[in-house]
Amino acid sequence: MALEDYRRNMEMCCRCSCCKFIPLERLEGYRYAHVCPSVARYNFHAYSGGGRIGMGVGMLERRFEYSDTFLKVLYDCQMCGGCDVSCKYAMDMDVLDPINEMRIACVGSGRTLPVLDRLRDNLRKTGVMVGKRAGLSEWAAGLDVTEVSEKKAKVVYHAGCRARFDEEQWKVSRAALALLKRAGIDVGIAREELCCGGRAYEMGYREDFLTQAEKKMDQLRKSGAETLVTGCADCFHTLSVLYDRFAMKGDMEVLHITEYLNRLIKEGRIEPARKVEAKVVYHDPCHLGRLGEPYVPWEGKEIPGHIRLFDPPKELRRGTHGVYEPPREILRSIPGIKLVEMERRREYAWCCGAGGGVEESNPAFAAWTAKERMDEAISTGADALVTACSGCERSFRASAEKNGMPMKIFRR
Amino acid sequence: MALEKGIYRAFEDIVGPDNISEEPAILDAYAWTGIVQKEKNSTPAARKQTGFQRFAVRCEAILLPGETKEVQSIVRLCNKRGLRFKAFSTGWIGGNIPSGPGAVQIDLRRMNRILEINEKNMYAVVEPYVIGAQLQAELMKVGLNCNITGGGSQTSALPIAAHWGTGHAAHSISNGERNLLALEWVSPEGDIVRTGSLGSIDEWFCGDGPGPSLRGIVRGSITPFGGMGVYTKAATKVYYWPGPSMFPVEGVSPRYKPAEIPPCFMIRYFSFPSMESRAEAMRQISESEIAFELMGFPIPMIASNMATSNQEEREIFARLTKEVRGPGFVVIITGSSQREFSYRTKVLKEIIEATDGTSLRAMEDPEIGGAQMWRFIRPTASIRETFRATGDHSGVFPGHNEFAPVVRLARDIAIVKKELQEKGLLLDDGAEAFPWTEEYGNLSHAEVLYRFSASPASFEGVRHLNEESVKLAVKERAGVPFFVTGDELHDVFGPVASNYHVWLRRIKKAFDPNGAADSASYITARDE
Repeated sequence: MALEDYRRNMEMCCRCSCCKFIPLERLEGYRYAHVCPSVARYNFHAYSGGGRIGMGVGMLERRFEYSDTFLKVLYDCQMCGGCDVSCKYAMDMDVLDPINEMRIACVGSGRTLPVLDRLRDNLRKTGVMVGKRAGLSEWAAGLDVTEVSEKKAKVVYHAGCRARFDEEQWKVSRAALALLKRAGIDVGIAREELCCGGRAYEMGYREDFLTQAEKKMDQLRKSGAETLVTGCADCFHTLSVLYDRFAMKGDMEVLHITEYLNRLIKEGRIEPARKVEAKVVYHDPCHLGRLGEPYVPWEGKEIPGHIRLFDPPKELRRGTHGVYEPPREILRSIPGIKLVEMERRREYAWCCGAGGGVEESNPAFAAWTAKERMDEAISTGADALVTACSGCERSFRASAEKNGMPMKIFRR
Repeated sequence: MALEKGIYRAFEDIVGPDNISEEPAILDAYAWTGIVQKEKNSTPAARKQTGFQRFAVRCEAILLPGETKEVQSIVRLCNKRGLRFKAFSTGWIGGNIPSGPGAVQIDLRRMNRILEINEKNMYAVVEPYVIGAQLQAELMKVGLNCNITGGGSQTSALPIAAHWGTGHAAHSISNGERNLLALEWVSPEGDIVRTGSLGSIDEWFCGDGPGPSLRGIVRGSITPFGGMGVYTKAATKVYYWPGPSMFPVEGVSPRYKPAEIPPCFMIRYFSFPSMESRAEAMRQISESEIAFELMGFPIPMIASNMATSNQEEREIFARLTKEVRGPGFVVIITGSSQREFSYRTKVLKEIIEATDGTSLRAMEDPEIGGAQMWRFIRPTASIRETFRATGDHSGVFPGHNEFAPVVRLARDIAIVKKELQEKGLLLDDGAEAFPWTEEYGNLSHAEVLYRFSASPASFEGVRHLNEESVKLAVKERAGVPFFVTGDELHDVFGPVASNYHVWLRRIKKAFDPNGAADSASYITARDE
């Protein structure tokens, strides 16, 4: 698909502004009504889903140059998909996909952000976008775990680049592996674990993503993996949804670690070791929640007429089937835990701020977005915030530290 | 044409550098509208590319003021430098777009505070970018509710922001125009005017006094779409809410539904063998003052609201069409006690029996009916009804009057619509009028929904429908319809409605001698 292929879709936008707010039927009060960090922070309509759609049509009609200001608007967006869900609870159109195509079109015409180009270059050169050179599995040192280049494994754990290169996050991945081992799973890891490439796609570097995805799938095929488990929500979305979208995944089962652990708990293969007296609130990562719903392939055409129909009928991705319950079920299974919810949750959760290249291109905006979420979490009266994404965890830890917020941050 | 650098800097000094833009891409985001633009609002080059153009002509700049003083300074600068301005709140209706070169857009998004909820005196004071859902959610926490314009709860809660501000609950809690209390208004020349009690004793409780009542000046039959300055704060009357502080909604988008229907709440859809019997039932329900909502939704609109997609809508529409007997309406009954609720439902039962109404089974299902109930109380429906089909705005709005004239006019417009349906120019959805009553029948409103594709033939059909609607509205003397904006239509309707257009122009000239408040969707002050 290219931006031109979304023309009719974009012309469906009626500029109603629903993309700026959480689905209105779920709105509980004044304070947490907004779903789009971008327009909430920068206010001009252009920063909203609908505003971007209007600009997308403008791009097709070559109404303006790709100026620095335009690029700032285009990239001051976490690609969190909140606009997409809020639009599609009433409309039959895609919002996030054409926005992504706008970025891809900019890359195709050579208009990009230098800071993101450097990440892309890093991917080409080292196989990862962030952190040190792709490589050694120091994070798993000392664990009795299969190395898939030496011995094939049916279950492969993919830690994700951030989890591998940020020492503060090693303990989470190590704990995940330990739990899998305790459940008797013969789990393998790749010493030279390759990046999934998903972030490149969201930054508009589609060709680089596809190249990286080919390499990644080649590595996974050689590992013998039938089930891939990842502790990273971004990687989960890429490996599960994007790889399916580009017909790369094949029959391999892709699970987020919360899904897999929840399965093992239900099978009685692991259980909580102790009681934890705490009131916790769960943050839904965008890529695990609304963006994490399975990809359903569709091939067909729009039927010309006075109502937009498809042949065969097309089920739009509305965030309905994202991974929402498994993390919550795990928390509920722990004795002593009291799980509370934020006003913005599940398919209309507020983003942590780190996605879509914003953490790199506009860290102040990323931090502002994270603080908004931390304020919301604190408003629940919870002692701790739990999430299931390394990027979210980093954002919230930094926000809590910077703003002196008395809240613990956990990730599973 | 770009703003002169000096003017740009002056605007920048008022709102700050982060709150002004003349970037073409940003201007295009604002120029993009939910309706196909009239030729005069669209550039020839753009029309050539797409046939029909959803971009209006760009304005000069976008300004995001954060407070009334900034709005005042912008307006004064426009008057001084010969520019026009147009303000909007949530900015949905195409009439909020400035008329191109020489005009700036004032986006009131940063003015977004609920200033007061006065439980004792039952009013709320809001700035323009508070949306209906936000205000309603806060009000429900204290047992109150507000009118929300039928466009949806994502639109402004400012009671003067939309056309007439009528909506789903208007039957019992009236419309925006009637709920408007005191108002803060930046006049077209830049004076800050405080109307009603606000003008004399700094209180918001009354729109007409003690203090200046300018209710008829600040707006005409419908809101002037920015043609009479900028409304920066307003008080709206609020009402008793018999329901829970938060409706018990569950499920995942797009299938939200209440976990349970709250006690003393009921929703039904009744269909009737004729328009006359439906009208009689609506009249009796209004007269007995038993209903919270009473909306004459035709079945395609019910299908739209039950469905989560166009595909599903067509399937539900086909199914429901077989079940209904003719025109119908949705009614929501509430009660502040079980006794009151029982009384009201008993009265309803008797009225329906007397008028030969039949209940739609699907609406009796607690899951389906419950979802519809909340969707009509927290209005999110109109997007599905109007825009989901093709993305184009689609409705004729015959306007306000007594029940019989507006229903008659809507019925006749629906006949024209049916002819176009039969020619394949509009979606075949039954072609029924959509009436409802306000203030228990003191006022009424009617619309005719249509859906069309942006093909030349279909668009010609829409043009024909609109032209015929004008002729019918003039002929049948059913009041000045909602779609009357701009000089051309005012000049058609003025002569048959007490020459109101002459007075409207005099008001415009007196309050806006420089023509600074953009009149493209209002009326200009030209001499008669």
